[in-house]
Amino acid sequence: MTTATNSAHEIGISWWQQALALLAKDLKAELRTKVAVSAVGVFTFASLLLLGLATAVLKEVPTVKIIGLIDPITVADVINKMHPAWDAPSKMGMLWVLFCFAAFAGLAHSFVHEEETGTVTALRLSMSAEAVYTGKLLFNLIVLLVIMITVTPIYMAMTGMSVGSLFVFLLVMVSGCIGLAATATIIGALAAKAQGTGALYGALGLPLLLVFLMLLLNAASTIYIVDAPTLRVAKDVGGLFSFGVLIISMSVMLFHFIWEE
Amino acid sequence: MATTERRTEGTAAATTRSTTVPALQGAWWKWGMGLVMCFVIYGAFFIAGGAVGFGKTGDIARIVFFHVPGAILSSVCYFVGACFAGVYLFKQFAPEKAAEIDAKSAIAMELGFLFCILATITGSIFAGMQWNSYWNWDPREISIVIMLLLYASYLVLRAALAARPTQRAKLAAVYALVALVPAQYLIWAVPRLVAFTNHPINVLFEQERLSTTYKIVLYSSFLAFTMLYIWMSQLRFRVYKLRTHVEGKRG
Repeated sequence: MTTATNSAHEIGISWWQQALALLAKDLKAELRTKVAVSAVGVFTFASLLLLGLATAVLKEVPTVKIIGLIDPITVADVINKMHPAWDAPSKMGMLWVLFCFAAFAGLAHSFVHEEETGTVTALRLSMSAEAVYTGKLLFNLIVLLVIMITVTPIYMAMTGMSVGSLFVFLLVMVSGCIGLAATATIIGALAAKAQGTGALYGALGLPLLLVFLMLLLNAASTIYIVDAPTLRVAKDVGGLFSFGVLIISMSVMLFHFIWEE
Repeated sequence: MATTERRTEGTAAATTRSTTVPALQGAWWKWGMGLVMCFVIYGAFFIAGGAVGFGKTGDIARIVFFHVPGAILSSVCYFVGACFAGVYLFKQFAPEKAAEIDAKSAIAMELGFLFCILATITGSIFAGMQWNSYWNWDPREISIVIMLLLYASYLVLRAALAARPTQRAKLAAVYALVALVPAQYLIWAVPRLVAFTNHPINVLFEQERLSTTYKIVLYSSFLAFTMLYIWMSQLRFRVYKLRTHVEGKRG
């Protein structure tokens, strides 16, 4: 701790600049190898296909209507009926289950590869713990946002999930990403330190994410209420958002205990 | 009597043992706890009557005397464990003292896990009798299972790091504090945010909804369970002290 702050003070850069430098380094490495994005992305798509296949029997059957009498079934109707017969909030929930698994399949990498390549000591010497945490959190958040922006439209096309109220939808997606990135980052640091396998990472992280998913499903149901009262939106989305914020503030307080030897 | 005999034998081990390992003291409150527990068991079946709205005879309401204290204690235990974890991380101690605090945190977690299992099982039995299904996906039911998982993953982390005690203490303390966030959400936020639940949120503090006999037995049950928890953690801590003592002897 003392060496890190001393060296940072000598060079005269703030922890924020250190964090941004780490983020730039990680992003550059990611653009070269594309490990995190491809791992998380492939995982998400593969599980999406699996999910689609497993629930293929659940398709909504078009209701029988007498053609030519009241309103004939249009082609669009038939196509819509080929989607899985979940309601919109559970489609949203399923999407986030995929994201959670994918995040825990891919995001451990950001800390583990520092341990594997032996760069962890150099990082520990040259930066303060807070800077490392912030850099890694921002990197994971960016990876998740990229995955979310690419996967969500495809998921919506495949399952027929609607946007509902667009503003609330975006709020839920972004607060969801923050919560997921926060949990994945601190647990990733823990698991990397414990030199655990992926199994330990999942076992430590997923119980925390269950609570997160409960809050997310609660917020997801708000998206599809027509003209939801502002108070209800604030309560549900705020509940989800506060989870990420609390995990981040807890992590900031605790990260240096993990990071320093 | 036993200590004097050992001292006459003149072994140094006896003196060190009597100083490092505290003897079991305060037997009176353990007897008292036994009496209170007997009163709770008697009261649950003979003093408190059946409650209206619980099955045909109202008998299944009696499980409240064992289910509710267990459930509340399981979340209190998590809080106690997290407090010890916080003390371990944020205060400086000599290595032995620090290891003791870590052990106390772990003991609270283990006992919390036990009470959590008991609360889940009693709750499931009650749900089966009352709502004809042992599992209803009620938010409180989900909460307690998640609580169970949080305890379990804490213990998994400790087990994975068993070979490295110092690191185990530090990482487990960090995990306990991070998982405190979802644990508190489960207790305070989930029953209020997620709309539908079969459970009452605030019955214990609403005076008119509990009859006097229920109150007397239930509060005695809280007392008995809490004392049981204190006694069990004392015993566990004693086992820990004895184990470190023996390991220290071996070298």
